[in-house]
Formats: sequence, structure tokens, C-alpha cells
Amino acid sequence: MKKHFLLVVVIVLITSMLFACGTKTEEPASILDKIQTNKKVVVGTSADYPPYEFVDEAGNKTGFDIELMAEIAKRMGVELEWVDMPFDSLVAAVSSGKLDMSISCFNYDEERDKTVDFSEAYYTTEDAFVVNKTFTGTITVPEDIVAYKVGVQSGTVQDGWLTDNLIANGLLPEANLSRYERVDQAALDLANGRIDILMADLVPIQAYVAQNPDLQVVYKGELSTGPINIVLPDGDTTLKAEIDRIIKELQAEGFIDALAVKYFSN
Amino acid sequence: MNLNQFISYIAQGTIYTVGVTLIALPAGLLIGTILALLYVYGGKVTGRLMNLYSTIFRGIPPLVLLFILFFAVSKGINLSAFWAGSLSLGIVSSAYQMEIVRGALLAVSGDQMKAARAIGLSRLQAIRYVVLPQAVRLAIPPWSNEVAIVIKDSSLVYALGVPEILRRAQLIAASSQQYLLAYLSAALIYFLLVFLTTRLLNRLENKLAIPANP
Repeated sequence: MKKHFLLVVVIVLITSMLFACGTKTEEPASILDKIQTNKKVVVGTSADYPPYEFVDEAGNKTGFDIELMAEIAKRMGVELEWVDMPFDSLVAAVSSGKLDMSISCFNYDEERDKTVDFSEAYYTTEDAFVVNKTFTGTITVPEDIVAYKVGVQSGTVQDGWLTDNLIANGLLPEANLSRYERVDQAALDLANGRIDILMADLVPIQAYVAQNPDLQVVYKGELSTGPINIVLPDGDTTLKAEIDRIIKELQAEGFIDALAVKYFSN
Repeated sequence: MNLNQFISYIAQGTIYTVGVTLIALPAGLLIGTILALLYVYGGKVTGRLMNLYSTIFRGIPPLVLLFILFFAVSKGINLSAFWAGSLSLGIVSSAYQMEIVRGALLAVSGDQMKAARAIGLSRLQAIRYVVLPQAVRLAIPPWSNEVAIVIKDSSLVYALGVPEILRRAQLIAASSQQYLLAYLSAALIYFLLVFLTTRLLNRLENKLAIPANP
């Protein structure tokens, strides 16, 4: 009897754990209602991507996106709560409701659009190919990079562009593309000679190159990237309308251009 | 920035590393010990169930379980990043700690149980007063291994943005561009944590050792 009792306890414990996962809580119609009721917006960012988002010497978050979001929250009349998270986790965190929205230099991407929404673009970026100064080849068209070892930050639009345009049709062997968790790890490998070419966002990589005299930008253009947007919960049109309205307002006032000058011109 | 600034910035993350460890490790020990007792003394069917539990949770990388708890089941139970991390590490660790305790229980000779029963102790009393005290001594060395693993695995919660040692090292590395310094500082802090803990456990092992029985 005793044995069976233990068995039942174990089974009940396991099944109750499984069922606990299936219950759902009621969600408010729009996240905007929740934000206004709580007087607080919870925003995710990956604060390791200067000059868009990074921590200063005092350990505080700062950067282009950070200041922009602070202004957006101010105009919504709510407090801003930052949640730092690695870039890979941000979209999942917005779509699972852990974050109200996320600003982290996001480009529009069809894959991402399936699980989250995008605000109006608040700025436009370009791509760059970076090489070590010892690099002897020439890059005139983007496809020239297939002869070399290429590095990219995994999960970024650059990764998507390389995969769709060079890997998928066999131009660039999969073995010659290294995907890094972070762009600075890729830049480090470039400086150390493990890869020949790094594809990245132009503005942050230019800031990086400025501090690393071994490296230089050999090509720039709008390949994979383009407009950057705030990532919003899927299908929440009320929230999107409010954010878009504020972005347009800030663009019209020249606030965003002033921020770009502050952070992007070295 | 100098080394001091790096270490003091990164070391602020120690509170999360220690926090996650202090939840995951005792939770894993408690669950692991109970399950190990059930495994060894609970009969055939319970034993099989325990074996299944151990197989499943030793087979899932803690990071995967962490993502499941944080993202996949978040509609039902809204766990914070810290708790999702602590719980998933605790669950995975419980499977390993169960095997450690089970091994220690089995290493105590079966004759001990027979002798204890022969002098009139009940099965529970025999486990409590005869088998467990001997098993604890045997479990400490492998357990100190598990402690070191949990301390270091706590760095996985960085993936959810818990500002522990590794995540803070990444942030300061990105802003200062001094990668070597940042990650060396993180390595140093982890090393000190593990070193001090294992030293402490060595002392415990010596203290609990039976004199004249090395």
C-alpha cells in the first residue's frame, strides 16, 4: 500500500506540473491599456551594441535607441523600465509578453514579422564589409566576398542576407561562413585573422573600426538592412498607432536627426 | 578604465550568481535526495519512474529547459528571468544529485541494512540512523563536483538578461572594447567563487570523516 501511495504522489506531481503549463490568464485587449494603467512601459534592449545601446562608465544604459525610447516614454506620459537581454532573446520576449516592446536596432525581417509587429521606421542604416588592413583582395560588388572567409553576427539581417543570397545558391560554402553570437566577437576574430571579411551594420562597425586601427571598411551599401524599427507585440494596432504617432512627431521636430548627429558622427 | 573598475562593475553580478546557486543547489539536493531514496528503497515501479526522471532531465541541456520555462510556458505561469533560471538549473541539478545520492546509498553495504533490521530498527529508522549517515560521507566528494558545476552553470541565466557576472562582462566589454580584461575579470570572479566553495566542502569532508578510517 505504502509503495502505491508513493507512486500516486509522484504521478500527481508530474501531471499537475504538466497541466499548470496549459492554463491561460486573461490578457488585456491592448498592451497600451496595460502600460497606461501601470504608468510604466517595459522595454527590452541588448545593451552591448554601441552606439545604439550600451552601458557607460557608470554602468548606466545610454545610446541612440536608449535616448529615443526615453523620449517616447516621456511623451506617452509613463515611466520607462529597461530590461537588458541578449539580442537573440528579445523577439521571443516580446511575443511571449515578457516585454511590452523592444528597441535594439531592429531591421524589418519577414521571419520576425510572423511573431511580432514593427513600428514605423525611426532611422535608416546601411551594411558594411570590414577587413583587416593586411587584406589584399578587392571588393567591388558584394558577391566578391564569396572567395573569402566571412563572419557575421548570428540572427541578424546580415546573417539572413548572406544565407539567402550567397549560401542558398551555393556561391559561398557554408563552411566559410562563421556566425558569432555578438558582432564584437566577430571583429576580434577578424583582427586575429580567423576570418577575412566581416559583414555588419555600418554605423556601429564604423565606431568600432575608429577604435581599432587594424581594421577598415572596404564596402558600404544598403544590402540587407535599411530602416530600423521598434519591435511591438503581434497584432496590437492600438499600441502601434500610438508609437508611430510619436515617432512621426519626433521626426518632424528634428529630434531623431539631432540624436543621430550626437551618436553617429565621431 | 582600469582592472579595478572592471572587477567592481562585474562583481556586482555576483549577487545573482550566488542567488541562482543558492536556490538551484538546495532545491536540487532536496528533490534529488528524496528521489534517490525512492529509487533505492521504493520498489520496482517507483525505481523505474525515478530512472525516467533522471534520464529526461540529464538529457536536456539546462539552457533549453530555461528557454522552455521562460518563453514557452510564460502564458500560464509568468516566471521572472531569475526564477526561470534558478528553477531550471535546480531541476537539472536534482537529476544529477539524485544519481550522486543513489550511488552513495548503494555504496553502503547491504549487510548494514540487514544488521540494523536484525537489532530491531524499522526500515525507516535503519535508513535514517544507519545508512544515511554513512552515505553522506561518501556523497560529499562527488557532490562538491556538482556544486562547482551549478555555480558555473548559473552563468546561463545571462541568456535571459539576468545581470549576473557573464552578462555584466559582456556589457562592459562592448562599451569599453577591452574584451580580454572584461572576460578575465569574469573568469577570476568565477574561479574565486568555486575555489572558496570547494575548500569549504573539503573542510566539511574532513570534519565528517570517521577518525582512523581514512
